[in-house]
Amino acid sequence: MLLPGFGEEGQQKLRESTAFIVGCGALGTVIANMLARAGVGHLIIADRDFIEVTNLQRQVLFDEGDVADGIPKAEAAKRKIARINSQVKVTAIVDDINHTNIERLITCEDGSKADIIVDGVDNFETRFVVNDVAVKHGIPYIYGGAVGTVGMTYAILPHAAPGTDDANQPSWERAGRATPCIRCIFEQAPPPGMNPTCDTAGVIGPVVSIIANYQVAETLKVLTGNLDAVNPAMVHVDLWQNHLKQFKVARAYDAGECVCCKKREFEFLDGKFGSSTTTLCGRNAVQLTQKSADGDRLDFEAIADRLRPHGTVKVNPFMLRADIHDNGEPYELTLFKDGRAIVKGTKEATTAKNIYAKYVGG
Amino acid sequence: MSDTITIQIPTPLRPQAGDNATVDVTGSTVGEALGALTQQFPELGGRLFKEGGNEVNRFINFYVNDEDIRFLENLDTPLKGGDELSIVPAIAGG
Ligand SMILES: [Zn+2]
Repeated sequence: MLLPGFGEEGQQKLRESTAFIVGCGALGTVIANMLARAGVGHLIIADRDFIEVTNLQRQVLFDEGDVADGIPKAEAAKRKIARINSQVKVTAIVDDINHTNIERLITCEDGSKADIIVDGVDNFETRFVVNDVAVKHGIPYIYGGAVGTVGMTYAILPHAAPGTDDANQPSWERAGRATPCIRCIFEQAPPPGMNPTCDTAGVIGPVVSIIANYQVAETLKVLTGNLDAVNPAMVHVDLWQNHLKQFKVARAYDAGECVCCKKREFEFLDGKFGSSTTTLCGRNAVQLTQKSADGDRLDFEAIADRLRPHGTVKVNPFMLRADIHDNGEPYELTLFKDGRAIVKGTKEATTAKNIYAKYVGG
Repeated sequence: MSDTITIQIPTPLRPQAGDNATVDVTGSTVGEALGALTQQFPELGGRLFKEGGNEVNRFINFYVNDEDIRFLENLDTPLKGGDELSIVPAIAGG
């Protein structure tokens, strides 16, 4: 590529880099596709889900053959990339990414950590785990999110622990380019069911592509060492309102008291917050329990409205119950006011968390 | 109108805001503008503010033009005609 600050040297840096792509759905497929074509040497692609025909409108790496074959997204991405750029090494991880496994999964065979984490995640619980690991290990993390016609992205170059001597600071800290982390900006995850998800509200392909490619551009800047070019603002687009904005967030680190990047308490990575799952013996069901800073109050009516197009929904003051078909399988989802959920129709925690993230969100 | 503040309503909150993407209000501070908004659309109050109504929810950010109100003067941040107040929740999808 003949670009200022890129050249053969930049291409070589890309070849020697490892990018960890968390989530290989709408954003993740675009990211994986572009990073493979750009020649990033090693991609670790993690996703817990299978491909459905309704994904094809936005998940550009997949096709009808993948749906028919019933292969997991991470594996399908690996196969497709092998045909796009055979020089790229792909590690496919078909698993739920959570606080118990992420530090192992971002570690390469030689013991080094991934050079960057790129966000294709569909829920904030996983994002906060990712943010914790990025800050703890000093790994750049490119946030992206999209739903409906709206998307948002932001490049995090995490601060080193206060008091770290110059020699041990990452290059971006020494260059004065370190940024607030995602929890400096959003202290808390939206409560479960607060916002629509891509599976309840839909998302248009263009906003996914725009946000994902923005993430890719920031990734290429970071991996080639063009730190001055990294956008310090949070980009927000609404394609239906013809609205593009860049919000200044740089002061969030100095002015705030971030639990994660300033106080170095990794609450999500330590498993203090987030959900825990229990397989309910003999019931073919999994219970998910949310642990959050504030007691969550679920808005059953709002959630019910979003679930009705997907199946029968019954609501009373204590619980919401919905029959949902996902990937051809029937599930019964029961939500309680405190955010607890039971997903019936599976014994697998990963499947239950996937159903919850897709249809309730959070 | 020279003293009009335009509030950008995010998609998930539009059902509580009469399906409007923007709402024009008057107010000399962020608190006053949000007060005018929630007076017009009372259901929004419970979404934007914590129980008790004096503090905004921490998973939603508020920007005056491109600046976060937490680093200005929060709800006391002054507004002038033509300012844009954006309500920005975290976007989870992907
Ligand atoms: Zn932080």
